[in-house]
Amino acid sequence: MEKILLKKALPQWVKALASYTVYSPKKDKEESWNYAEIDHEDFDPNFLNTTLPPKKILFPQKEIFLEFSKTAEGSQETLEVKEVLPEKKAAVIFGVRPCDARAAWLLDKVFSGEFTDPYYWIRRNQTTLVGLACDAPPSENCFCLSVEGSPFSEEGLDVLLTDLGDRYLVKSLTEKGEKLIQAAKHHFHDPKPEDRKKVKAIQAESVKKIKRQLKDARAVSSKLKGSFESPLWDEESMSCIRCGICTYLCPSCHCFDINDEVESASPLKGNRVRTWDTCQFPDFTMHSSGHNPRPEKASRLRQRLFHKFQYFVETYGQFQCVGCGRCISLCPVGIDIIKVLDKVNKHGS
Amino acid sequence: MEANVYIPKLAKIIEIKEEVGGARAIKTFRTVFTNGTQFEYRSGQCAMLSIFGKGESMISISSSPLVKDYLQFSVLKMGRVTSALHELEVGDLIGVRGPYGNGFPMEDWKRKNIVFIGGGIGLAPIWSVLQTALLKKEDYGELSLIYGARTSKDLVFREECEELKKKMRVFLSIDVAEPGWDEFVGFVPQNVLDKKPSSANTIAITCGPPIMIKFVIRALKDLHFEDNQIYTTVENKMKCGIGKCGRCNIGPHYVCKDGPVYSWAELKNLPQEY
Repeated sequence: MEKILLKKALPQWVKALASYTVYSPKKDKEESWNYAEIDHEDFDPNFLNTTLPPKKILFPQKEIFLEFSKTAEGSQETLEVKEVLPEKKAAVIFGVRPCDARAAWLLDKVFSGEFTDPYYWIRRNQTTLVGLACDAPPSENCFCLSVEGSPFSEEGLDVLLTDLGDRYLVKSLTEKGEKLIQAAKHHFHDPKPEDRKKVKAIQAESVKKIKRQLKDARAVSSKLKGSFESPLWDEESMSCIRCGICTYLCPSCHCFDINDEVESASPLKGNRVRTWDTCQFPDFTMHSSGHNPRPEKASRLRQRLFHKFQYFVETYGQFQCVGCGRCISLCPVGIDIIKVLDKVNKHGS
Repeated sequence: MEANVYIPKLAKIIEIKEEVGGARAIKTFRTVFTNGTQFEYRSGQCAMLSIFGKGESMISISSSPLVKDYLQFSVLKMGRVTSALHELEVGDLIGVRGPYGNGFPMEDWKRKNIVFIGGGIGLAPIWSVLQTALLKKEDYGELSLIYGARTSKDLVFREECEELKKKMRVFLSIDVAEPGWDEFVGFVPQNVLDKKPSSANTIAITCGPPIMIKFVIRALKDLHFEDNQIYTTVENKMKCGIGKCGRCNIGPHYVCKDGPVYSWAELKNLPQEY
């Protein structure tokens, strides 16, 4: 369903969502945009995109899985293990860029299947994603079109907003999205034909403004296999300082670690925690014997690109990259996956 | 709501046997769940063991699923968790979640001969299959075991292997000669070539150090085994056990979920990242 919401009524909409925790991009002390809880007056649509994707709200960098504790009564010791699930509280994220929502749609695939990840799904199911279509690419390294996304793609979103100057065209995409509109329905009106026309024009312009392109990503995907032993991985990873920022900032990277954090050794008390991890760290795959299947930087860069452009395609039929460009813009040594994949493309021919 | 996959069930250690001492110590643990948890599994599957406060480690189940009285794990003391496990005593509690992985396709092996080829701790995953095959002996053809370790002191299930000799052919080996050792001296692949198991209607299962597996497979190929007659298990570092944490992959396969059992026909086409 499509509706019109005047921009000046947006705070009223957010205000009507009092039962939700509301997140949106907010400028932090370092002048960097990041998702934070906001008050109804705070939504500022003047952001391009956030440094960290909204992934952290659905899949936090650190979360507790369970608590363990030992209590001793005389010689009798009792071990207690208690599941710790995320707090039940509806949330809404305003201003999600379509690429980041598409990444959530990819995470959905990872965290379901034969084994469901309860922590992810509790958060995912109670969170409504309100997207903001890109009328211009938020980053000079945007390349969503090359990986089957677009500046107004809808996958993963519950609502999509398109900025029409003094108003938004509000498209609700799911039941969750519909519920959000119903919460302040008197602020929403039916769109006029010219509103719809304007959306089309904005979309057509927006697509033209995307500068970067990965040529024929599906072909790259099939050519990757043949590049496994290529020296190009050594060459391209030479400058890598294995900081892992490419994966920590990635909206679709999902690798994690599980560890026990001990608060007290005696009597034993602590938490089992999940934290983000990265395939770019050598100990990610190192066996306790010291043997490491991916010991060099080359094998780890290769793993990141193979995972995103070949393995994920084989498993889920989609690229595990949404073209947000963060890993390119923020790599401290300028490793550019588009350029690397272009080399793969040439390597095969 | 379905059970939380990340929450282990508590199990009590009811028996500990020291298999191997020294720097590369191996102990076999038998555990029972404290609350009557049902734990159905297949030979070759693994379980994630927890020592609370230390973490988790993926260990292959060395008992047969036909034996319902306990779960058995033979563990090489290596990292933080396995070292902590070695400190435990009978009566202590650990966490167990699983089972994980695919297991051996034993139902496809009816009436076939099985030759088990193990090195060191690699006998653990084999042991479950071997026990299952022995308990259902009528379902299988001839069973034989070729097993070796660095020294006689490094052989696991030593007494059980002697007992086994009454039921099946057992060929042991050690890498270097020792006084009193009257069986084969040399590496496991050499023993395979020496004993020349026939490939006719036979499945070969090999587990052990990667270098041993590589040469055992070469030996089996020399003995005319086809790629789909050879099975092995792969190890990689694991955290989640359910194909999500991203580290145990070999190509698009997650060893924890899609493995750890592979036929050589499958494994030889995957990248060498294990």
